[in-house]
Amino acid sequence: MATKQLYQTRPLECWGKAKAIREQYYRDYATAHERGGLRWAGGAWTFGAIPAGLGDDVWSITSEPYAASIAANKDFSMRCLEATERAGYARDLCSYMRNYWGSVILDEYLWGGEFPKPDFIWQDHICCSHAKWYQVVSDLEGGIPSFCIDVSVGPYETVNERKIDYLVGQMHDGIEWLEKVTGRKYDDEKLIQAVYNECRATAVWADVCTLNKAIPAPLEEKTMYSLYVLGTLMKHSKQVADFYEELRDEVRDRVADRIGAIPNEQCRLMSDTQPPWGFLSLFRYLEKYGAVSVGSLYTFGLIGVWEVKPDGTWGPRTTPQELGIEITDRDQALRILADWNLSKPEWQHFYSPHLKTDMMVRIAREWSLNGVMLHYNRGCEGLSLGIAENRLGLIEAGFPVMTFEGNMGDEREFDLTKTMARVDAFMETLGFKKEG
Amino acid sequence: MFDKLRDWERHRHDYAKDWKDRTGGKVVGYFCTYAPEEIMYAAGVLPVRILGSHEPQDVTEPHIFGMYCPFCRDCLAQGLKGRYDYLDGIMISQSCLHVRQAYTSWEKHIPVDFHYYLPMPAKVQTPRALPYLTGELAEFRKAIEEWTGRTISDKDLDKAIAVYNENRRLMRDIYDFRKNDKPPLTGQEAMEMVISSQMTDKAEHNEELKKILAGLPKRNSGREPGVRLMILGSEDDDIEFVNMVEKCGATFVVDDHCTGSRYFWNGVEPLENRLEAIARRYIDRVPCPSKDWEDRTRVQHIVDLAKAWNVSGAIVIQQKFCDPHELDIPAIRKALQGNGVKTLFLEFDVTVPLGQFKVRVEAFLEMLVEEDLFD
Amino acid sequence: MITAGIDMGSKTVKVVIIRDGEIIGKAKTLAGFEAGGAAEQAFAQALDEAGIAIDDVEAIVATGAGRKNAPYSTRDITEVGGDARGVIRLFPSARTVLDVGAEEGRAIRCTEDGKVLDFALNEKCAAGAGAFTESMSRALEVPVEELGPMSLKSTKSIPMNAQCAVFAESEVVTLVHLKTPKPDIARAVHDAIASRIVSLARKVGYEPDVVLIGGVAHNPGFVDSLERALECKVIIPENPEFIGAYGAALAAAEA
Repeated sequence: MATKQLYQTRPLECWGKAKAIREQYYRDYATAHERGGLRWAGGAWTFGAIPAGLGDDVWSITSEPYAASIAANKDFSMRCLEATERAGYARDLCSYMRNYWGSVILDEYLWGGEFPKPDFIWQDHICCSHAKWYQVVSDLEGGIPSFCIDVSVGPYETVNERKIDYLVGQMHDGIEWLEKVTGRKYDDEKLIQAVYNECRATAVWADVCTLNKAIPAPLEEKTMYSLYVLGTLMKHSKQVADFYEELRDEVRDRVADRIGAIPNEQCRLMSDTQPPWGFLSLFRYLEKYGAVSVGSLYTFGLIGVWEVKPDGTWGPRTTPQELGIEITDRDQALRILADWNLSKPEWQHFYSPHLKTDMMVRIAREWSLNGVMLHYNRGCEGLSLGIAENRLGLIEAGFPVMTFEGNMGDEREFDLTKTMARVDAFMETLGFKKEG
Repeated sequence: MFDKLRDWERHRHDYAKDWKDRTGGKVVGYFCTYAPEEIMYAAGVLPVRILGSHEPQDVTEPHIFGMYCPFCRDCLAQGLKGRYDYLDGIMISQSCLHVRQAYTSWEKHIPVDFHYYLPMPAKVQTPRALPYLTGELAEFRKAIEEWTGRTISDKDLDKAIAVYNENRRLMRDIYDFRKNDKPPLTGQEAMEMVISSQMTDKAEHNEELKKILAGLPKRNSGREPGVRLMILGSEDDDIEFVNMVEKCGATFVVDDHCTGSRYFWNGVEPLENRLEAIARRYIDRVPCPSKDWEDRTRVQHIVDLAKAWNVSGAIVIQQKFCDPHELDIPAIRKALQGNGVKTLFLEFDVTVPLGQFKVRVEAFLEMLVEEDLFD
Repeated sequence: MITAGIDMGSKTVKVVIIRDGEIIGKAKTLAGFEAGGAAEQAFAQALDEAGIAIDDVEAIVATGAGRKNAPYSTRDITEVGGDARGVIRLFPSARTVLDVGAEEGRAIRCTEDGKVLDFALNEKCAAGAGAFTESMSRALEVPVEELGPMSLKSTKSIPMNAQCAVFAESEVVTLVHLKTPKPDIARAVHDAIASRIVSLARKVGYEPDVVLIGGVAHNPGFVDSLERALECKVIIPENPEFIGAYGAALAAAEA
């Protein structure tokens, strides 16, 4: 039975560019020293704009995307996980960490050669593992100077001067520390530009996600992963901000031309938490039902920064530039950076799952969803936090929910066949039949 | 000698209900030992720690994903089963992710008059944490004042701090007796002492502690101490397990976990700004692993305890799925072993297979005894 | 109209043949390694019992974990869909279905039309299926069919971990060494499985009438534990392990 063709499809033109940017990123990190530059490691949420003030020859590797890339590579992933277990680390720890450490222990870089040791660690802390991940990295590498900023000051709706002061105080301390550790003089102008870029990149990514409210959805989540990842690598870079604008313009065209991500869209879903990275074919399976995942709070709000617009709907947060704010000094730049990041949707649920439920219900309504697929992700206690309450809240709000247990980075804990059987049962309850 | 404390520990709900009848005061349940109890106590509120009951249950599945620690689910189960119906409020001072869920689900599904989420800083190692937390405590004090309808003056805080400091000092004094070659109290009694402190009005608890302290020098425990052990972990209040180990020819002489020394090890040092003094105490205390970074300060502390209490071996308890503690365990074991203290690792659920554990413990003790023979 | 349903379970294959909603033939065999062949065998037996030939069957639908490998069927439905259909047909008052088979436990909430509102399945950490009773009966050295009646003789409730089958098995070994009476251990095992199933039931929010199906429904010890944990009685159809196949046969008649 052939797939119904309800909508026209078109390959994404800027797809190749996204891939190239990502590959270059990992090459730049590895070759940093050869070019007399610096390299550092930290999480995807870290305040990457700050080390940018050390110079234009400073490159980074962010842990989660690197680990996700390993997870997509099943053989290498298994060797990494086993190496970590042999070193005495528990199997139920964050699976990103276990893949990353394994790569360090084996001294094998996913893109070839030895694992390039960072000059310093620059991290932020919101889940219990975040700072401690790098304690182990430092142990494994014989000691690496580390600085980690605590961001756990409560949900954005409670933000006040004192909470901003707490973050900004640490940031100021961090800059002094960076100068000491690297021996470089800090350049506030570079920091300011990085902050502008970060606000632009993350707001424009939210804009891209907003365009998926259209029916048919111009993008589907599997593709979006490969695009949003750039924000997890270097959200503060001009290159990523520029790329997202290019992407946004192309997606606007797709909406205008009624281009669908899949030709037979009839069931709109969203997912949540990271997907099982080694099994993205699950999204292809959904397409047999004409089902498409148009995104998730994870894809929208981990990099994207949002606000409620005057018309009551969700849209990209207005950037300082758009508000006509001119950043003139270090402290101002840091305050804006802190405030901007604290409003990030994916940080709110750490304080209450009910805040996350509100956002998910909003997405379900504004993006016109038929149902929700929740990945009870054993590999990430941070993003799976409160997920059972999210399920209850979504059901209460009238949205059918399907759950499946798995692991974003450990294939031993994910059963694709069983999960597809659940999708079958879920589609049956929603009244959609398989085709093709 | 410890009967009263044991009784309080076992009948914690009866105690709290009775306290309410006697005093007409309010009771607030807290989920983590970073709770600034002094502030609540200063307002005449009794803070009690919410702990589980070590029974299998089927009520938390809709609320908390099964991969979060059994302890946090056990805590929520107590609320869902109505065992804490007498609570007037709940609060949490933010620490690990897992137990947060017990608080947030409780807040939504179990009616309470008052609930408060205190965003206690995770980076206790930064000097910026002190002014931040001091400010948060001021907000918390205001919330308690509004709820109870009474002002909390500096005098009130001083009184509360005095009671709490005394409680801590008394327990430390009692812990010192465990350094003796023949400790006059068992690890089980010590655990019951600390847990009962978390369940009761500390003014009353202090009275019992003073009696115990007076009697300890003359007390003959009537048992051979056997191998000197330390117990350390994430949350651990499995008294049955401690009892089993001590029956195998060993005594727990010291510990590091939050139903043990981590709860009371340091006191509040006086400062003009009382809230700042309280904040200082909670920032400086022996950290929960979730707050122990960038440096791992807890490791040295554990080694110091092991040395000072002359410990032969350490049983490392791992609450199933507890990430923060799991992240520290390799470093802790390495440090202990490097200092001549052998370790036994055991993974815990809310119920444990005592028989299987006994086999491992006996083998561990045998190994330690043989070591001593050949020293 | 004559239709048939084939339930390709992980341990056993069940075939049900119906005429106008009534069962006229049924059979069950072990799935083994060659489940397709086992299914053909069971189908032949069921036809025999019904006194008809395969050409008399107008439509055949498969269900169960191995449904993609079922012979003869023209389409398949999920176990969840099959269970709901089968139960509602027999018990129009049913609103919750608990299906406990060899490898999987499920809770299903449905409407009076047999439409599935929500469902929950056993996850990774779970001692909530029939295979667990089998390994426990081996540990107690009792034939598996005696485990149920034996547990009813118990008067004591011993808490046992229900999250992890490995932990639970450890606890059983401990109890055996402590010379705990076998009925008490048997009851603890059933309580543990029931606790898992009730967790699933709570996840979907169970309401009466609650119907129990699947092979483990034959175990009176488990039923007792389940009713105590649910705090309500459950309805158990005749031939509870055939209800999935029955539902598939009903689905075959729908198309």
